[in-house]
Amino acid sequence: MVDQIALLGTGLANTFDPLNFSMILIGLVIGILAGALPGITMLNAIVLVLPFTYLMGIVPSLLLMTSVYCGGVFGGSITGILFNIPGDPMNVPTTWEGYKLNKKGFVSKALGMAIMCSAIGGFLSALIMTFVSPPFAKVALSFSSCEYFSVVFLGLVSVVVIGTQSIGSALISLFIGMFLATVGMDDIYGAVRFTFGSRIMETGISFTTVLIGLFAIGEVLDQLSAKKTQEGDVIRTRPKTTLPRFREIWGLHNTILRGLGIGTVIGAIPGTGATVASFVSYGVEKQVSKTPEKFGTGVWEGLAASETSINASTGGAMIPLLTLGIPGSGATAVMMGAFLLHGIQPGPLLFSKSPESVYTIFVGMLVCNLIMILAGLITAKFFSELMRVPEHILAAFIVCFCLLGAFALRNDMADVWFMALFGIAGYFMRRYELPIPPLILGIILGPLSEKYFLTTMIGAGNDFTIFFRRPVSGCLMVISIGLLLLPFLRSLGKRGKKRLEAT
Amino acid sequence: MSPTRVECPPRPSILKPLTGALLIFLLSVYFYVLAGNIDAPPSPEQLGAAFWPKMILVMLMISCGIKAWEIMKARGKEEKKTSGDEPRLGVNIPKLAAMIAMIILVVYFLDVIGFALANFLFLVFFMRIAGLRKKIPLGLTSALGTIFLIYLFVKVVYLPLPKGQWFFDDFTIALYRVLHII
Repeated sequence: MVDQIALLGTGLANTFDPLNFSMILIGLVIGILAGALPGITMLNAIVLVLPFTYLMGIVPSLLLMTSVYCGGVFGGSITGILFNIPGDPMNVPTTWEGYKLNKKGFVSKALGMAIMCSAIGGFLSALIMTFVSPPFAKVALSFSSCEYFSVVFLGLVSVVVIGTQSIGSALISLFIGMFLATVGMDDIYGAVRFTFGSRIMETGISFTTVLIGLFAIGEVLDQLSAKKTQEGDVIRTRPKTTLPRFREIWGLHNTILRGLGIGTVIGAIPGTGATVASFVSYGVEKQVSKTPEKFGTGVWEGLAASETSINASTGGAMIPLLTLGIPGSGATAVMMGAFLLHGIQPGPLLFSKSPESVYTIFVGMLVCNLIMILAGLITAKFFSELMRVPEHILAAFIVCFCLLGAFALRNDMADVWFMALFGIAGYFMRRYELPIPPLILGIILGPLSEKYFLTTMIGAGNDFTIFFRRPVSGCLMVISIGLLLLPFLRSLGKRGKKRLEAT
Repeated sequence: MSPTRVECPPRPSILKPLTGALLIFLLSVYFYVLAGNIDAPPSPEQLGAAFWPKMILVMLMISCGIKAWEIMKARGKEEKKTSGDEPRLGVNIPKLAAMIAMIILVVYFLDVIGFALANFLFLVFFMRIAGLRKKIPLGLTSALGTIFLIYLFVKVVYLPLPKGQWFFDDFTIALYRVLHII
């Protein structure tokens, strides 16, 4: 323990070294901007900064990358709240509540709440990472595809809680998304599916193109084609970012703690990451809420749960990377590349060979999440300025950014076509009240669930009971089934109550 | 005075609300049949590449059934709206059609005439359709916006934006030279 505190002291001193500290600041700004721009993901930003780390030592390199990571996972929430355009798939649940809060006139507070919950989630998960890394990683290492499937299944179950008005519509949307995800080359058997002989389709439909199209283009078409009311256009104001008061945050402490727990645990499981964490956290929050029907209409709990879990997953994802040398996500995989570039193999030996570097990363992440409040405020102010731009100009440029964002994915015009077509589909989905979020959830989690399910089946000789026989997986499946049944049980309970009252 | 005949309001057809679910159901059946052409698994003990999409399509068919049941159940009842629902405004169909056409056209012409020209023209026409009437701000915003996007994505992000075909390729390169991008 004394050694650990001494190492933390060394880490603190290293973090405030001018070069290291400036790397944190630069990384945060790059990360938040990249996360906020649709099509330029946090992962793109980490890959883009990787070449610059050749010239640096391992500590500033990793601090730069971790701050891009922390800033990037938060950045997408800003455009999600302001314009209903999530920068990354992980920011989708934030967008559901944040944009509705914006429409209700709470944009300043929603931005402030998102910043604070992100910072709290990130800071506390970094703290957990510092002290619980080694034992936690051992548990995660024992996970097989069976447990991974159970986690993803839990994420998919949240569709029931997302589809508030019609379970049928939500399920249709979810399965359309999951079906779209099957287009292209299959990961397990290498078979080509539903490509109609087109080589472009073999690589599949990128969920980012679907995401950009459905959310951004669909929203633009919906907003601009709507006949204006007699009052005329809505007055566009410049929203300020207001940080929530301590009392307001304390009022959400249970939500934040749940988001922190879910984010850290899911983040630490390799292959899941922030997207699964945010969907699961949002779903769980809705289930435990006393007013679940209000979710999706602008609820603070939904926003806080999603934001806390997204940033909490960053600390969690670093645990298996640092202690076992297993990257838990795309971002940590690039970071592992940075370690290897500098001739360092992450893993248990890292703690004995260069503990100062490890603890500088720990402290760096803690500091990074604190500075993120300031960086978030500055960046949110910059993006808020865009709210003053007239609607027709803003909408045209949003479409341009979407075109560029889709093209930037693989430098392929096919992605741009898909994005445009899904944009038009997004408009009609809105018009005919087919919910978009379940489709997004299906297209993101569909491939993961298929991979883990089929891998488990190959290993278990097609025995479906394996998911219930393993302790962790069994618990997760029981929780998922419980969540799945909860709405039905609630409605049965309500009916029973009504009958009792009637008699 | 002859007794007045009270006319019942015509009962809305059940087919119309069911059309969407029915269409998705039929498409699922079509794709289910198509999934039969996917390569067979390497060994009979394995589930194979067709298993997962087939399972999803069956679930989709069941979901269509659930939706149809929901529609039938809600028929005749007054639609309950949640507190967050806003009444939907009417749609300006010509404007919507024009915007959709513009989006499709810009995607088509990106490859043909290059990003610079296609984006400039898109911005001009889209903003005009959206409601920007003044010509000078329209032209200036489109031109400056296109230059900004080219700088950001070609010079900063190193994204090889489509240059176009035939003489449009030469035009884009000339433009990049003028802008000191290459």
